[in-house]
Amino acid sequence: MTNEEAKFILSAYRPNGSDSGDAAFGEALRMASGDPALGDWFGRSRAHDAAVAQKLRQIAPPSGLREAILAGARVSGRETRSGPGWGWIAGLAAAAMVAIGVFTMRAPVRPQADAADFAGFAINDMVSAKHGSRGEASGALIARLQTEGAKMPSGADIDFDRMRDTGCRTLSFKGRQVLEVCFVRDGSLFHFYMMRGVSSPGGAAAPGPSFVTLAAGAAAVWSDGRFDYAVSSTAGVEAIRRLL
Amino acid sequence: MNNEAFAQLVDAHYAPLYRFALSLARNGSDAGDLVQQTFFIWATKGEGIRELSKAKSWLFTTLYREFLRGRRRDSRSSSLEDLPAGEKEPAAEDIDRVARIDAATVMEVLQTVDEAYRAPLTLFYIEDMSYQEIAEALEVPIGTVMSRLSRGKSQLRMALERAEAAAGSKVLPFPNSKGARAS
Repeated sequence: MTNEEAKFILSAYRPNGSDSGDAAFGEALRMASGDPALGDWFGRSRAHDAAVAQKLRQIAPPSGLREAILAGARVSGRETRSGPGWGWIAGLAAAAMVAIGVFTMRAPVRPQADAADFAGFAINDMVSAKHGSRGEASGALIARLQTEGAKMPSGADIDFDRMRDTGCRTLSFKGRQVLEVCFVRDGSLFHFYMMRGVSSPGGAAAPGPSFVTLAAGAAAVWSDGRFDYAVSSTAGVEAIRRLL
Repeated sequence: MNNEAFAQLVDAHYAPLYRFALSLARNGSDAGDLVQQTFFIWATKGEGIRELSKAKSWLFTTLYREFLRGRRRDSRSSSLEDLPAGEKEPAAEDIDRVARIDAATVMEVLQTVDEAYRAPLTLFYIEDMSYQEIAEALEVPIGTVMSRLSRGKSQLRMALERAEAAAGSKVLPFPNSKGARAS
């Protein structure tokens, strides 16, 4: 074994010495103890490793992460029993909404489960489905959504049935029809979803926007009473917030 | 697994998992998401692992898989063959340098190391994993782990040296009050 080969092997030796009994390091360790130059190199290498490790272990997780993890697990128990295809994403969304409540105190502390499910639905559809809406009504809505500075439309401005009947992409969420169009704003792609509200106050979404961020993307959900809405994107929650 | 046992599992691993995720994702928000996602998957699938001694490896493997799955592959990513070989030997000043730099900056510098090296390096430093444990967690051969540790450490030392030089070039030395003179 050459000194270079010994250095290569000793690079995997942990600075706390817990590998001293590992036969894979035996010959390299013997060389380091008998060769002053190699021994010096090994000493410096271990000291450097220990210094880097000590620094990196000082990095603390953000406050609230632990609570968010535990909340997510509680949600997961419920979602795995219901088991729809996008249920795990919806469970994550619900957990994330709790997390957002913990981190920023801006979202509802206990968001309605359906709102989290709708956000999860929007994120899952964004990343996993083939998109594309047709029809004049859809085109008009897309043009409006892509207008710089335009706020999200309300149900009073949209003819839901006409859009559905003239080629707008239509999905199903818990038995309710959902319209979806894609639009680009400030160079980012967004997905707009709307569905009729149910008889319960506020429908699926809380009146004010609630935000969900997951590894796959972010979504906002809100309601005007008549319709429930969601916007999802991979551009992040701040990009979505600017639309509202 | 009951709630108490799950909470103990979270307490034991969420901080090192977050540090690992932070080194991979390179921002706190995505790192938090990855950690939450990992424990969520545990809650839905991982409870089948009855040997808690394997839970740590399972969690790190799952987080790494989720990172790879969610990441967008961009054209800038290099194959290992394209990466430069390590050349920076550890010197005494390298050790002093690390002592001078704060933890957040060390993490930022680690995040600049090529991804293929960053994952094993982080597990080595943060979780004190052996090369065998790293190989198991990242699902790569032992020889690959050794090679990546050797090259990655060299790349990290070079990056730390560059980071300190860059910081030094932006900071004017503060005059010693006794030695300062009006000119």
